[in-house]
Amino acid sequence: MRFMVIMKASEESESGQVPSTELIAEMGKFNEELVRAGVMLAGEGLASSAEGARVRFGGTAEPSVIDGPFAETKELVAGFWILQVRSLAEAVEWVKRVPNTDGAHHEIEIRRIAEAEDFGDNLTPELKEAEEKLREEVAKNG
Amino acid sequence: MKFMVLVKASVESEAGAAPKPELVEQMDRFNEQLAASGHLVETAGLTRSAEGARLRWFDGLAEPEVVDGPFAETKELVAGVWILRGESVAEIVGLMKQAPNPDRQAGTIEIRPMVESR
Repeated sequence: MRFMVIMKASEESESGQVPSTELIAEMGKFNEELVRAGVMLAGEGLASSAEGARVRFGGTAEPSVIDGPFAETKELVAGFWILQVRSLAEAVEWVKRVPNTDGAHHEIEIRRIAEAEDFGDNLTPELKEAEEKLREEVAKNG
Repeated sequence: MKFMVLVKASVESEAGAAPKPELVEQMDRFNEQLAASGHLVETAGLTRSAEGARLRWFDGLAEPEVVDGPFAETKELVAGVWILRGESVAEIVGLMKQAPNPDRQAGTIEIRPMVESR
């Protein structure tokens, strides 16, 4: 099963403050362990929301664009991992060990990624084949 | 540069309903275009928050607290992501304005540049 682990933002991450050398080192070690265990598929940090934008859809009008920063700090995403594990419980055990050297993270959310089986009959054989072709093409962009 | 594009949840996505074939098909075509143009790195749809969990850290506590989903604030939840390669936020905004929305549902997509470390 694949899970997306979402690190929520904090005042520190939103301020654009760079993490301490110690935390960068600890995080590097933790990620290495994830890689060695064959668990880590991806992991990245996001720049503060001041560098981002939102596209809002509604009704028939053209979508509107709103530039960051966005106010609701605790709901924003600051970074993520994609993990391959056997269960939610296993993901929880890994996430409990995310280094928190700076005492800056407050909340991490774990969400299962939908796989082909989750789409049931709506994913027709043709669409499934298209999906597999897409995967192959995306692997080239990695 | 790489960007994370976050699709916010809706009542429908949180209900766990499988997307309509029409949307799946249009999304597939959209993703194919993003792949062909070299933008698409990864795309993932998340299952509803009822299948998820949160860990919360509190000052003075060694162990985080674990809370099982579902989570109430639907509009703040993430329903899916794209990871895209591009030159600027404006370029990604332009691409995302064309994201399929066959039922013309109200919703928000957030675009965030990733921190480059290498």
